[in-house]
Amino acid sequence: MINPRIPSTLNPGELLTRVNRDVERSVLRARNGIRYVRGSHRPALGMTPKEVVWKRDKAELWRYKGGDRRYGPPLVIVHSLVSRSYILDLRPGNSTVEYLTRAGLDVFMLDWGVPDDLDADNDFERYVDWYLPRALEAARSASGHEEVTLAGYCLGGVIAALYAAGYEDPGVRNLILMATPVDYSEMGAMVALLREDRLDPDELIDETGNVPADALYSGFYMLAPTVEVAQKATFLENLWNDEFVEGFQAMATWSRDHVPFPGAAFRQLVDLLVRRNILMTGSMPLGGRQVDLGTFRGNVLNAMAERDNVVPPPAVEPIMQLVGDPARREELRLPGGHVTFGTGKSAFKHTMPKLTGWIIDHSDSPS
Amino acid sequence: MPDNQPLWLRAVIRLERAIGEPIESAVRSDTYFDLVSTTTRVRRKVMGTAEGVSRRCLHLLNLPAGSDMRGMRQQLARMERRLNQLSHEVGELDEDGSGADV
Repeated sequence: MINPRIPSTLNPGELLTRVNRDVERSVLRARNGIRYVRGSHRPALGMTPKEVVWKRDKAELWRYKGGDRRYGPPLVIVHSLVSRSYILDLRPGNSTVEYLTRAGLDVFMLDWGVPDDLDADNDFERYVDWYLPRALEAARSASGHEEVTLAGYCLGGVIAALYAAGYEDPGVRNLILMATPVDYSEMGAMVALLREDRLDPDELIDETGNVPADALYSGFYMLAPTVEVAQKATFLENLWNDEFVEGFQAMATWSRDHVPFPGAAFRQLVDLLVRRNILMTGSMPLGGRQVDLGTFRGNVLNAMAERDNVVPPPAVEPIMQLVGDPARREELRLPGGHVTFGTGKSAFKHTMPKLTGWIIDHSDSPS
Repeated sequence: MPDNQPLWLRAVIRLERAIGEPIESAVRSDTYFDLVSTTTRVRRKVMGTAEGVSRRCLHLLNLPAGSDMRGMRQQLARMERRLNQLSHEVGELDEDGSGADV
């Protein structure tokens, strides 16, 4: 069989160029391989300049610097409870918050920190009714705007939606739900272990009162246990490419860097969201009241990844029937998986321009 | 699969998929989830039994066991949580002067 990569005629000049290139790449492979094994030259993560504008317990609200903040209201991103927020600020040139900041948005990130014994009692009420209103007040105060654009990623989207719908005047103009699961019967393998006849939440909670990060990592890892082999092979092939190596290391670091899940919130998640699939009823009991997701009156953007195997599209799609005013809902289907739709080349080609465009369209123009 | 990938890499990726797909189906099956549930329960039971035995032995010698330390840690954490909550409430009372937002 003829290898299409090798032209039928190869003149000596081209041959020499190829040999030179291969030698050069071999040297770079050896250098980067040693650095990788030694663990030196780890990429710096979450490097977009920021300041802490509010802090309670381990929760912090960061305001990113570097842009000229042309549009308002500010964008407040609520991160998930199961992973580290630097996935949205992975590294310079491959950072969602850097992109949004440079587009002229005033970007805040609500980071939950790494829960320990002290956070074991944190339930959804604690996040929705205690941390979030205070963080948003700090964002409004820092930006001078009365409203915010509230964006939630994954479970952060559930918290954001419950907050936006849980208050008569939440001060939220736009609600963006990114890969936010509402139909837990469609979550497949991610929640299969937690169904009624299988594990009880307390069987996964450790002595700190939280679900250990390792248990969460195992859950994600078991979705595709062999895929790491192909990833490592691709890495080996591209080991000469500094940028590829850096990107690979950044993603590998993040994908192993899960955080414990607060026990109280986990019990609620299993009982209400997974077993009773309560969000599909359109409302959820929270802090002694019933939060009706349909009562939110701002604009809603439901952004989902078409190849998401953590939160598959069928788990996200019902947002279009449940959250907010039907006349003010929009859907954004993006290529990529649960993580890659928010970071990496595809994100910069598809997600970022569309997401930024939507936010700007629903923001105040520069004065 | 991109055309510029070398043959060895294509082969690895194909092989990974050939092996990976059945494994992925297996680890998403009810049998697998039931197995993991049972294993987790058995492991916890065995560890609980072993912990109980070692606790009784240590208590016989009037020594604290790991579970005692854990219990103490949990109590301390509960106290610290309560203290943090109170300090936040006091801080907010100081800030707004009305005491309504706690």
